[in-house]
Amino acid sequence: MISKKDNVGQPILSISDVAKHYPIREGALQRVVGHVRAVDGVSFDIFPGKTVGLVGESGCGKSTLGKVVAGLTDPTSGSVRYNFNTQLVSISSLEKNKFKNFRRNCQMVFQDSFASLNPRHLVFDIVGRPLKVYKEVSGYDLVEKVVSLLNQVGLGREHLYRYPHQFSGGQRQRISIARALALNPEIIILDEPTSALDVSVQAQILNLLNELQKARNLAYLFVTHDLSVVRHMADSLVVMYLGKIAEAGETQAIFAKPYHPYTKALMDAKPSFDEGQNSKAKGLEGVVPDPARPPQGCRFHTRCSLATDKCGWEVDDVVRWLEDTPGMFESLTAVERKSEFSAVLSFSDESSAANLKQEMRSEKLPASMRKALNKVNINEKNVQIEFEPVEEILLREKDGRHAACIIEPKKVNQEA
Amino acid sequence: MQTWIEELLLENKMNERAFDNLHYDGDTAFRVRIRRFGALLGRLCSNPTTVIGLIIIGLMMAMAIFAPWITEANVPDPYQMPRDWGAVRKPPGTPGFLLGTTNEGGDVFYGVVWGSRTSLQLSLYVVGSTMIIGTIIGSLAGLLGGWVDEFLMRLVDVFLSIPELIFALAIAAVLGPSFTNIIIALSMVIWVKYARIMRAQVLQVKQNEYVEAAKVIGDTKLNIYLKDILPNAVTPVTVQATLDMGNVVLIGATLSFIGLSEAGIAEWGVLVSEGQAGIASGRWWASTFPGMMIFLWALAFNLVGDGLRDALDPRTEGR
Repeated sequence: MISKKDNVGQPILSISDVAKHYPIREGALQRVVGHVRAVDGVSFDIFPGKTVGLVGESGCGKSTLGKVVAGLTDPTSGSVRYNFNTQLVSISSLEKNKFKNFRRNCQMVFQDSFASLNPRHLVFDIVGRPLKVYKEVSGYDLVEKVVSLLNQVGLGREHLYRYPHQFSGGQRQRISIARALALNPEIIILDEPTSALDVSVQAQILNLLNELQKARNLAYLFVTHDLSVVRHMADSLVVMYLGKIAEAGETQAIFAKPYHPYTKALMDAKPSFDEGQNSKAKGLEGVVPDPARPPQGCRFHTRCSLATDKCGWEVDDVVRWLEDTPGMFESLTAVERKSEFSAVLSFSDESSAANLKQEMRSEKLPASMRKALNKVNINEKNVQIEFEPVEEILLREKDGRHAACIIEPKKVNQEA
Repeated sequence: MQTWIEELLLENKMNERAFDNLHYDGDTAFRVRIRRFGALLGRLCSNPTTVIGLIIIGLMMAMAIFAPWITEANVPDPYQMPRDWGAVRKPPGTPGFLLGTTNEGGDVFYGVVWGSRTSLQLSLYVVGSTMIIGTIIGSLAGLLGGWVDEFLMRLVDVFLSIPELIFALAIAAVLGPSFTNIIIALSMVIWVKYARIMRAQVLQVKQNEYVEAAKVIGDTKLNIYLKDILPNAVTPVTVQATLDMGNVVLIGATLSFIGLSEAGIAEWGVLVSEGQAGIASGRWWASTFPGMMIFLWALAFNLVGDGLRDALDPRTEGR
């Protein structure tokens, strides 16, 4: 769906409308009571020799998506299609030997270099293992091949027969990279490969990855929460929030002018050297909502400083607000929903009900939320609340980029 | 990952080429593994109580192995106590009967020496078989999950809900009094412990990222189990097995004591039972010496088991 028009050639991997839902089971019979929507309809393409940066906060589903793309778990819906001789084929429908072919060509480097290397295996076993699995080489040639792989990542023959715990974090990550390179893959999925490392070591690893990419025409899917890393690495960006794409496009363009308020907030959250010691980092407020009950409309509206009445205010926002208000949530006895936007809230006493009605019109709630509120009726202990219903927000295209929301200067001025 | 033979062959080749490469310090997988094993032994021996345990076990093993040279084997069955009806109730130190004799003219020294063989057999058979069965069943439950796990673990719960000794006693009683039946009874009771431990371990180890990494490489499920999961999961099982080497003899002796193995067999529990009638009349030796052996055996394996647990602790291992 999202592919850059100026990019000639076919994608090597095409992710289309991928969703991954995990069932929540409860009770003795393990009945499914809901789904955690870790990834909820994501599409983008990966091109040979290029890096796609997948950015988002923790819990936004980026690591899950990485695992789906690597073929470690099957998506709930949608497909990951791999380019077999200029033909895109879904990897979940591949025959065994063709899947093996995909397997060889799509490798992965994990975040925790200590956890991803078997503590009982020697470096030679770890790096040589993929070669043994596919019976590429054996005996003395295997040793030489492993040594040449180690040389490529800046390690040497003297490291062959050591255990992972004898290395530093950066060296261990190099071993992981050597293992990923062993089968000469086309794509490597990098799942936060540098987030556990020192800044100076981070730079070394990133430079190594860059050099390898140039030398071998590798495609990377770089999963990270660190925007500065992605700016250094990625040709194009996919910004995810709560399982959905907030914004996607070329890295340069996005950094020059972010469309989505979430992208902008992420960029502002990074403390800058220029602003002096006294300035505080303008962080994102609040926490990521529960992915089992994602917000309606724009999923970011609960934390967005630019939200309007059209952004999807709903009953859950009132419930969330009650949870944070001492004394009120305890007296809430029932929520009877007619839809996501309309419900009757029952309280155990009349004063709380009256209080809620009063608060719903007060300054304590965001102006945009009050504006979206159609109706607040009170009937003894029950409060009826109705918001303006909002449709699911889809990605829009502007200047060859895609975003679920586009900040327009005029609107920013209004809100400020 | 390679067999040791492969590694040894490789070592030869590497040594030939070592002259070509200045960076290569001549290390080989084989040597590194031997060093790692040596380091484990070193950690084990740094604990004095473990060393005491190891010495006791060593002496017991020597006694079991050299039994025919220490005392002349009884014919036709060396595991049967020799009876000398002319020398009943002799105190320790009597010429020919170092530790005295029982009411029925059994040589206590002979029973103590050959009893170590019986005990070694008992613990090896029981611990060996239950460790294998428990590891397989626990692994299956942990790996497959779902209804297989549910079924196997409920079965384990049933076994665990009855106290070990009473359950073993019941089975041995049903099968009839014999030493072989004690082995069978104990095996049927003890495997559940290993299944439990192994399942918990497998569930934990299979979450590790290196298992995921092996999947990305495309290795087979069997290989992932054998190379990644089993070696990293089996440590607590080996510790438990060491402890059980002692416990099994303790329970076995109890069963023998209450008459669930053949009478007259050279077994410590049987000897204690045979000697107990004389304790009230001051003939303490017939029960005390085999009783001490049971105590030392159980103590020694418990000491080594505890030491092994510390030496294999992942927080200290290999650092």
